[in-house]
Amino acid sequence: MANVLVFAEVRGGELRKVAFEAVTAARSLAELSGGGQVHAVLAGGAGIGGKAELLARYGADSVLVLEHDGFAQYNPEALAATLVQHLQGATYAYALFSATAQGRDLSPRVAAKMGVGLAADLTGLAVDGNAVVGQHFTMNGKVIATLAITGAPAIVSVRPAAFQPAENARPLAAAAITSVVDPLASRVKVVALKQGGGDKIDLNDAPVIIAGGRGLKSPANFQLCEDLADAFGNAAVGATRAVTDEGWRPHSDQIGQTGRNVSPTLYVAVGISGAIQHLAGMRTSKTIVAINKDKDAPIFKIADYGIVGDVMEVMPAFTAAVKQARSQG
Amino acid sequence: MKIAVCIKRVPVMEVKFVIAADGTRVEESGLKYDVNDFDLWAIEAGLQLREKNGNTGEVVVISLGPDTAQEQIRKALAMGADRGVLLKTDAMPTDGFAVAQALAAELRDGGYDVVLFGRIAIDSMNQMTGPMVAELLDLPCVTNVCKLEVANGAGRAERQLEGANEVVEFPLPALLTIDDGLNKERLPSLKGIMAAKKKPLDVKPAQLGAAHVTVRKMELPPERAAGRILGDSAAAVPELVRLLQTEAKVL
Amino acid sequence: MSLSNIVFAVVLVGALAFFVRSARRLTKWLHIGRAEVRTDHAGERTRNLLLIGIAQTKILRDPIGGMMHALVFWGFMVLGLGTVEIMIQGLATGFTWDVILPRFLYLPYVVSQELFAVFVLIPVGYLLYRRLVIKPKRFHDDAVSGADAVFILSMIAILMVTLLLIFVMELTQPGASSDGRVISGLLVPLVGGLSAETAHTIGRVAWWMHALLILYFLNHLPFSKHLHVLTSLINVWFSNTSGPGRIGAMRPMDLEAEDAEQFGASDVQHLSWKNLLDGYSCTECGRCTAACPANLTGKMLSPRMIVVKTRARLTEKAQMLDAIGEGGTATVEQQAVLDKTLLDNWITEEELWACTSCRACVQECPVSIDQLDIINELRRDLVLMESRFPEELAPALTSLERNGSPWAFSAADREKWAEGMHIPTMAEMVAAGEKPDILFWVGCMGSFDDRSKKITVAFARILQAATVKFAILGQEETCHGDPARRMGNEYLYQMLAKGVIETLDGYQIKTIVTFCPHCFHQMGSEFPDLGGRYEVIHHTEYIERLLDAGRVPLDTEHGQRLKVAYHDSCYLGRYNEIYEEPRRALKKALPIIELVEPARTKSRGLCCGAGGGRMWMEETVGKRVNVERSEELLATGADQIAVACPFCMTMITDGVTGAGSTVPVLDISEVIAARLTAVPAPLP
Repeated sequence: MANVLVFAEVRGGELRKVAFEAVTAARSLAELSGGGQVHAVLAGGAGIGGKAELLARYGADSVLVLEHDGFAQYNPEALAATLVQHLQGATYAYALFSATAQGRDLSPRVAAKMGVGLAADLTGLAVDGNAVVGQHFTMNGKVIATLAITGAPAIVSVRPAAFQPAENARPLAAAAITSVVDPLASRVKVVALKQGGGDKIDLNDAPVIIAGGRGLKSPANFQLCEDLADAFGNAAVGATRAVTDEGWRPHSDQIGQTGRNVSPTLYVAVGISGAIQHLAGMRTSKTIVAINKDKDAPIFKIADYGIVGDVMEVMPAFTAAVKQARSQG
Repeated sequence: MKIAVCIKRVPVMEVKFVIAADGTRVEESGLKYDVNDFDLWAIEAGLQLREKNGNTGEVVVISLGPDTAQEQIRKALAMGADRGVLLKTDAMPTDGFAVAQALAAELRDGGYDVVLFGRIAIDSMNQMTGPMVAELLDLPCVTNVCKLEVANGAGRAERQLEGANEVVEFPLPALLTIDDGLNKERLPSLKGIMAAKKKPLDVKPAQLGAAHVTVRKMELPPERAAGRILGDSAAAVPELVRLLQTEAKVL
Repeated sequence: MSLSNIVFAVVLVGALAFFVRSARRLTKWLHIGRAEVRTDHAGERTRNLLLIGIAQTKILRDPIGGMMHALVFWGFMVLGLGTVEIMIQGLATGFTWDVILPRFLYLPYVVSQELFAVFVLIPVGYLLYRRLVIKPKRFHDDAVSGADAVFILSMIAILMVTLLLIFVMELTQPGASSDGRVISGLLVPLVGGLSAETAHTIGRVAWWMHALLILYFLNHLPFSKHLHVLTSLINVWFSNTSGPGRIGAMRPMDLEAEDAEQFGASDVQHLSWKNLLDGYSCTECGRCTAACPANLTGKMLSPRMIVVKTRARLTEKAQMLDAIGEGGTATVEQQAVLDKTLLDNWITEEELWACTSCRACVQECPVSIDQLDIINELRRDLVLMESRFPEELAPALTSLERNGSPWAFSAADREKWAEGMHIPTMAEMVAAGEKPDILFWVGCMGSFDDRSKKITVAFARILQAATVKFAILGQEETCHGDPARRMGNEYLYQMLAKGVIETLDGYQIKTIVTFCPHCFHQMGSEFPDLGGRYEVIHHTEYIERLLDAGRVPLDTEHGQRLKVAYHDSCYLGRYNEIYEEPRRALKKALPIIELVEPARTKSRGLCCGAGGGRMWMEETVGKRVNVERSEELLATGADQIAVACPFCMTMITDGVTGAGSTVPVLDISEVIAARLTAVPAPLP
């Protein structure tokens, strides 16, 4: 039986989905160790305490609320110091973070301050005696290592989307805590947050990429790709060299050897034959869908799913289906 | 300006890795090595900082690894760094904190204005050594830097988050970890390669910390399933969407 | 000795002295360039001199203009004898070769002088007409001035007219022999009304004009682009960088030399003296630029200007050095001129990276100037000294270094195409205690590019059907570094090439067959400089041999009669003079096809646009080269386009698709493999 301290990530005053994933993971870690308590740290500016209830809903036995203007933006120095104080003072066997840009910034600071190790970006969690055991991608994702971490506490971070948030409501027990250092005196200051939001997502950031090739026949038909990207919501539109050379799309949209190298979760190749120049820039994508008229097109060799057909016919149907699927999800 | 860049020798990733007989590491025979990509951008950032400051001061490249990692340090010297230090160890620890302690010991009395790391090493994928070193040296630390300005003893950077950027201000000395997008690294010229042979490179034993993290097992992810043609018209779309939801889990 | 003899002697000595001074100055300037041995292969060089120099084979590639120029050239050679006669006459009035020569030799001499005076006059008239009226594109491109050409042509015309006047007036003199006077004999009646005295005076005036003009001409040349009159034959003899059979092999480079501080060239002193002599020999005719795929699709590169600018920079620098004098101190302004460089101040990066290394310029140059050699040396400086190159090249160079392929694919995927084909690797053959007859070198395109993999499979099937005992290197194959070399990265090239040679020698490989002309050229023509000596055969040639030996079971009779246009690969054609083998292989395999030729073909063939590292660069200026070439191929009305290079395959397929055409583009091996009758049985 061991208690878990989990850090719930906030951005722009809102809890992120990864926070619920982290609480879910922490909950499961507590159960695996024989049923300990999960304490979630919720830090933010004025009014952040109002979000505590959400964390209780996903299984936080207690929510430690650190509410101060100095935490309105991410404040790594004051957060690390405060977390360390709690980890040293209480009987936490484990500390858990999200393996996000924020969590991967904060967790090593905490581990180093405590003089313990860190097992980062885990996709699975188990407890074996006094060790936490978890899976971690190495070698650019080509090898999976099973890591074991010991220490008091054992600090881990979990990969986004590896743990689906599961509701497991507890009665809300929120407690205000204070920073051990003046949060306004941190040397490193986040002065602004530039949200991606309304602007177009960059190809390198987009989890979904819709890329068009010469099979689209004309620049106007790129609207089919734009529509599908809009349907996904988190998608960017790319193009092949042939297309950017023709001037249908700007050169900055080019994916391939002489353009951008991308590796999204989902890559939809529309009217792209799959020349070596193009494949060199996208073949590490996780899932590849190809739509092309020519059944011999090389793109089908690396695609997970293919439709041999006219893009003019398939794309509108695909867009409609994605819209529908997302509205139901 | 005195700049340190910590770099790592990593395998070239375009290979099929083989798990060694003991099941806890990858087979090293046949692997080729290069400087970790993110570290190349860190080197480039260091060189640009030096250039923008009238080419005064020095860029020192520090690596922890086996004797052969001298080759990667030489590459950094060929790109334009001034001298190198190898903290030699024959066995690379899995534990990032053990590595951080050895690097911090070397950096501590160096008098560096800026210490640069790559955001992540693509072999271990730990992404922790930089901020750990910062804590050990009590340095201001900004990770995931994709934009950077340094002037008058202070800096302003953008941190790359998922779908957003944070604008961060910090005083010097500081430790930064460099993300992609900040720059594109220069390729060493032959002239640089020749000059690098004559630059100083110290080799000393690494003072590694104790390890808290160990590898129990290494395995290869399941092979990518062969692609499937779902149909020859829009009629195949429902099946495609179903597979994207249930099998690929990307929708 | 008359007064006029004395006057002439003074003029002659003065003119010759002035000429010698000019010539010595030009020779001295050549020494600004690097030393280079160009006296090897004397036999081949002499053959070049006779064919390209004397017989004017390259200038005759332009049938009309070429013939006109050749007549002037041959005229100069023949009339040269007459010029000597005239010079001696100046010193000893009344001298003719008749004094020395027997009658049977003198008479043909007279006839030759008479005829060639006209043979020169006619083309000079045409050439003037072309300059002033027709004005072909290449004469006014690049803002080259035609004024000097018009001046020179006019001077030659005057020389010929005065020569004929001398002949005619001589013939009007009492007692003159009309033997052999085939032209002036016809012209005499026109001047019948002149008294002998008047005619004599006119003849003397013409003689003086002619003689003085020749001496002036001689001294004008060193200051004019028409210096080629004096240097072209020398240039042709010293041309041919790499010796017989190794056309286009890049200049070897010693990277291990401890004291080396300059790699490649950024200024004239880093070029070889022969590159500088090229400058002297260029008459700015523009044949190179007119054939340049980059230039004719609107890029900044003009091979002519590469040479012209090299000469201009040499002149600028050399004159400045002369002005400062040996041991002298340069003023600030003078130093500024010396500090300029050929690269950047004269030739820009943009020009250099536009080059596809197709060798069309070198092929066309009538005096064997090597424009490409200068481009390559400047690229080497950019990459090796300054690490300056288009940013799109960085991934290719990085991948070559890391993965041994210009694309970041895993070596483990190299033999994926062979799955289920029972093709042994060298390692497997050696393990079984066997040796293959040939090594099939697959190449990076053939290994990784899905379109090219079909060529790989097709060729392997032909080999299997013909029961050739062959092996592949499989995962042991890596790029030989040719792309890096063409991009100017000699260091990376040598690293990769030496690695490949080590692998090949480790297996004691003698014969290599490949379908990539770049691999073919690199391993066959450039490896010898690094100590790798193999018989390397291109698959088109090898297929032809198999067909000749009757080893390929083919259906040659049936099917549709197809019109096929064959696109020549530069590295097969201009680099290795393989033009007929692919065509013969096609014809032999498929007598039912009809070969059609595009407008530019064989040694004049237009590049696909991928060479010289262009495959890995963006093409944003002007028309795309592959589009230009594809349109030309489609214009033949062919039902199919045949290529013999995986890079051409990519570029032409792209161009044909872009043109909205569905004409298939196939490799020769695919055309033939589709006709195999026997299902190939795997080798035991």
